[in-house]
Amino acid sequence: MKKITIGGIGSVLLGDDGVGPYVVGMLEAGYSFDESVMVADLGTPGLDLVAHLSGIDALILIDSVSNNAPPGTVTLYRKEDILRHGPAPVRMDPHSPALSESLLIAELAGEGPQDILLIGITGDQYEVGAGLSEAARQAAARAIAEVLAELDRLKIPYLKLRAEPFSAWWKPMAEALPVTNRSER
Amino acid sequence: MSRRITIDPITRIEGHLRIDVEVENYAVSNAWASCTMWRGIETILRGRDPRDAWMFTQRFCGVCTTVHAMASVRAVEDALKLPVPANAQYIRNLILIAHALHDHIVHFYQLSALDWVDILEIPKADPAAASKLAETLSPWTRNSRNELKAAQDKVKAVASSGQLGIFTNGYWGHPAMRLSPEVNLLAFTHYVQALEYQRKALQVVGMLGSKTPHIQNLQVGGVANAIDLDSQSALNMEKLETIRLLLDEVVTFINQVYLIDVCAVAAMYPEWFKIGSGVTNYLAVPDLPLDSEARAYDLPGGVIMRGDIGGVQGFATASDPVFRESVTEDVTHAYYQGERPLHPWKGETEPQFTDWDGDKKYSWVKSPRYKGQPMQVGPLSQVLVGYAQNHALTRKYADLALGQVSAIAKVNATPALMHSTLGRHAARAIRAAMLGELAQKHWQLLVDNIAKGDLTVHNEPVFPSGEVEGVGTHEAPRGTLSHWIVIKGGKIKNYQAVVPSTWNASPRDESGAHGPYEASLLHTPLARPDEPLEVLRTVHSFDPCMACACHTFDPSGRQIARVKVL
Repeated sequence: MKKITIGGIGSVLLGDDGVGPYVVGMLEAGYSFDESVMVADLGTPGLDLVAHLSGIDALILIDSVSNNAPPGTVTLYRKEDILRHGPAPVRMDPHSPALSESLLIAELAGEGPQDILLIGITGDQYEVGAGLSEAARQAAARAIAEVLAELDRLKIPYLKLRAEPFSAWWKPMAEALPVTNRSER
Repeated sequence: MSRRITIDPITRIEGHLRIDVEVENYAVSNAWASCTMWRGIETILRGRDPRDAWMFTQRFCGVCTTVHAMASVRAVEDALKLPVPANAQYIRNLILIAHALHDHIVHFYQLSALDWVDILEIPKADPAAASKLAETLSPWTRNSRNELKAAQDKVKAVASSGQLGIFTNGYWGHPAMRLSPEVNLLAFTHYVQALEYQRKALQVVGMLGSKTPHIQNLQVGGVANAIDLDSQSALNMEKLETIRLLLDEVVTFINQVYLIDVCAVAAMYPEWFKIGSGVTNYLAVPDLPLDSEARAYDLPGGVIMRGDIGGVQGFATASDPVFRESVTEDVTHAYYQGERPLHPWKGETEPQFTDWDGDKKYSWVKSPRYKGQPMQVGPLSQVLVGYAQNHALTRKYADLALGQVSAIAKVNATPALMHSTLGRHAARAIRAAMLGELAQKHWQLLVDNIAKGDLTVHNEPVFPSGEVEGVGTHEAPRGTLSHWIVIKGGKIKNYQAVVPSTWNASPRDESGAHGPYEASLLHTPLARPDEPLEVLRTVHSFDPCMACACHTFDPSGRQIARVKVL
């Protein structure tokens, strides 16, 4: 069985940067996967991303992107698109372009995934504590469709659940209820 | 005639650390460290439930997730004077240690080794000679000729493809690079092997914390791990045994590879024991509590001022009253409003952005000060503070490392050499070796305590109706981390995080005193000012991490970092 990781990248504290983890939350709430599929909110990793890339055959990432398209646009990137421009000229700290460098390091070590898809969602705002914009929220549903299409292409089975709609714990204060005693703790 | 060099990695849509240096006669004559992004993330915590704060603080930084979670629960527990069951202390300590071991290994190999190791020299190496050399240094079983040759072939394949991939932007062939092809090959072989061992350390974090990178098992008052040696779904003996085996493998790698490599590289660049000292005021807080009330710790804390090791002042606890009262944050040169330095409990985060102006405001990082003085934090502070207090475990590994450097370099390496760029690298490896031994100890403490029949993991927090203040500290991989909380009526009234990189990357303060990064760069010689490898060596030695980055992917390939020479 192919091993695959579906990872959301971004900071849930910075507006639309949280759209990757939001999509992952929706996937966890709405679908069930085989043990060979790992669904993870990867946050804002540095080179520790390499640890999540080893030993897998395929990788699907969902991340906010900055690409001059209208907010909420969903764009697909493959490995060659991500690596086209190589690593950063100067690396100052562990956060510096983690995705391309992590992929290159995993490849060097001979343990990176062959199949890579980055589902990019063009963000609207990245304000501290603002939650998702309407554009990003709507794009999240289209991103889910892209995840499922990629799973179909890879012949990875999944099951749709009849689940409660996903409610993010990191909502802005005005919308938030206390998050203590959440079931997933 | 001076020149200005700016090193500014414009990372994705938000900025990170920027370094400006003035260079005169091939040496740094002045320096500025700045962060180009607003650090006001704590404001989202106001009004929330203190029991939830750790889930938010864990998202401050994607690299240092667990440390911000831990400091947060400790801050609330300090405010409530709430003890934590012994099991919870040990489980937390194991998570913190495993995370630190992962972080230190990645820092040395993936983030800074290539400042010293010249990849393009590797194809010239003789793997058999390199293997023979390795045998004289370490009993590590994975230094065979075959393993080294396989690593060399990886580099050859990359080099001959015409696409350097991960190695595209190194300062290869720089005159400040000086290792022999064989040592370069050994270090690179371990660079590849390190990926395996840092992952094993992360596996321990994941097993105890239930997920990485964001652990799920914390609670104010303890942890949420169910302990039941007979249950498949709980923390049982089988899982504990797996954790022990993983830790043993990581510890072997640290003792036989990481510590040895750092000493060997250091011995071949001895002049770097004289470069990069800067601020020699050192701060560390005690960590790894040994009991429920946190009356004793496995890592000592304290303060050393102006490099005076003999004058060390120890801290009794992780929230020592002297520490609590002595920390302020100055915003003279930071993009915030405010006249006077403020204590973190009174801290304000009101932005006042101007353009970069080295004489006025130039950074989003505030200037934390201890009794008004800039302090260096990090493994070097931890090791020196421990060494000064005759802490046996610190002495054991520090003396081992200094002895190793002395033997290879044929010099007499003394603790005085530690105030330097290489001192910071050596101290990180020393600390990793100490933490490795302590991981095994705390694993045993946990197992013994469970064997006594104690399965308690949590004490329920009770919030008073009035106002309470607390500080939660953690001696994190990059140094002293403190979260300061004010709770009123069970809700967060104020929250400030004073993070290690804020201490080290701080701009000048009201007296004009440089922060540690800035001070450490003064007088650094530069062989080629337009390829400032030497500046990167010293900055990297601090293991800088500007937290709370926005990680939007930018596919356009616009230049995401630059070195600008004016």
